[in-house]
Amino acid sequence: MAALLPNVLQMKSEFIQATLATLYMTAVSAIIAGVLGLGLGILLVVTQPGGLLSDQPSYQLLDKATNLLRSVPFIILLAVISPLTNYLIGTTVGTTASLVPLVLGIFPFYARQVQNALLDVDQGIVEAAQSMGSSPLAIIFRVYLKEGLPDLIRVSIVTVISLIGLTTMAGAIGAGGLGDIAISIGYARFENDVTLVAMLIILVLVFAVQLAGDWLVKRVTHD
Amino acid sequence: MAQPIIDLKDITVTFHNDQQVLPAVQDVNLAIDSGDVYGIIGYSGAGKSTLVRVINLLQAPTEGRVVVNDQALQDLSPAKLRQARRQVGMIFQHFNLMGSRTVLGNVIYPLLGQKISKQERQAKALRLLKLVGLEAYAQAYPSKLSGGQKQRVAIARALITDPKVLISDEATSALDPKTTASILSLLQRLNQELGLTIVLITHEMQVIKSICHHVAVMEDGQIIERGPVAQVFTAPQEALTLDFVEAATNVRAAIKRITRTIRLSELAANQELIAFKFIGQATKHGVISQLSQEFKVDVNILFANIDQIDGQNVGDMIAVITGDLAAFNPAVAKMASEGVHAQVIDEQVVKGLSD
Repeated sequence: MAALLPNVLQMKSEFIQATLATLYMTAVSAIIAGVLGLGLGILLVVTQPGGLLSDQPSYQLLDKATNLLRSVPFIILLAVISPLTNYLIGTTVGTTASLVPLVLGIFPFYARQVQNALLDVDQGIVEAAQSMGSSPLAIIFRVYLKEGLPDLIRVSIVTVISLIGLTTMAGAIGAGGLGDIAISIGYARFENDVTLVAMLIILVLVFAVQLAGDWLVKRVTHD
Repeated sequence: MAQPIIDLKDITVTFHNDQQVLPAVQDVNLAIDSGDVYGIIGYSGAGKSTLVRVINLLQAPTEGRVVVNDQALQDLSPAKLRQARRQVGMIFQHFNLMGSRTVLGNVIYPLLGQKISKQERQAKALRLLKLVGLEAYAQAYPSKLSGGQKQRVAIARALITDPKVLISDEATSALDPKTTASILSLLQRLNQELGLTIVLITHEMQVIKSICHHVAVMEDGQIIERGPVAQVFTAPQEALTLDFVEAATNVRAAIKRITRTIRLSELAANQELIAFKFIGQATKHGVISQLSQEFKVDVNILFANIDQIDGQNVGDMIAVITGDLAAFNPAVAKMASEGVHAQVIDEQVVKGLSD
């Protein structure tokens, strides 16, 4: 063991610390981006032509904004929005500061996924709900979100897994976490076992998310 | 005469598609009385789905007035319109049940957010499930049901708000003939027992024949013919109506079949192939036997059928007549007023069928 992982064994507490930091960044930004992305995704679906609250100007604006945010590469986004991060958090380095770019980087992506998931909800069911006198708000909550739930969970898994990837990038420029360990210790000091173990922990996290998600999807699917 | 429960006045619906303007419904007037079963028949694209969606304003008309239950729907606020929609139940070709809810959950859905206790909601839903014969499936999910069962659930769901009108949008088109018959008899029962006004659209005359009292035939966004079903069936005025009627009575298919085995050119000079239609009283007398005795003609019956349409008997018969045609044909023609209609089938008629 010691021969295989000479450096890792001396860094147990750092690894625990880093894993917790990664979990923290992922969880908090997932919740914030989840709320924002879900909201934006719903707005995209209902404002689009033929939607429940069809509104061409709003749709165009939201659609373009989503595309714009999505086209900025994350590593550049980190740098570009650092003034905003500084304004919101008071610093641009550290785990908490990384939440700003993480949320901004992931929520437009999530919104698009939510939009696609909700567009898969059978339009006939939406029409049936309208014919039964449901209000737009009731249709969003009782039809779109309920009928689209399995797909929403699926896209949420994909998003969280992407998000774990993004936290490592943020880590590389000072946010801490497993990415930070892998790059600034493992890579920079040629301690390959550190990089490898950091990667393995990330893999475990990804698999855990995938498994939990699949289990949830199974529970809410009834066909 | 009471005010019709559904009154559509000068309805025009136009869709705009990029540069194209597509008129889906053109200047249609339609009044449906309370308690009626009104069928609208037409091929797909005729505008019938668009027209019935105007009744609950799922489709806002480009022009025209919509009055349902004495309420001018276009004048209502969105909240009032939603209340008004609850008076008009709707069922669909593809059932449109929510896969994420149980059968009971689907039936209860229209009552969510209403001021009614959970127990009452459930009791009412179970009562309706019993009415459609599915109380045993309350906790099942729709994916476990057959098409006919899904449509029954959809009917229970449509009825839970106690609507006065039920719109059926091709509700039996995705079902097999036996299931179709059972759904139609359920609708008929609802009409008779609850006094529910039913508006149904279909492309099958068989459906109209089974349960409708009135029918309107739609083509290119317009109603080209309308009236009591028995009248439209027995004396169709428009070519398209005739098409639907013949498809339903099988006469056309029978003529095709017969002319394949009996060549018209091989008939003797004193023979003819003739198609009779008997309506109402004419079905109760031995019309053909009287005629054959009177004119000393031989009648070789190749096809015969009798049907009940909205309580009225309608018979069809195809036969080869041998004898004094010069006396026979004018005599038959005179019987039109008694409900006997005859058409000699010649090459031209046969040619028309194959088109």
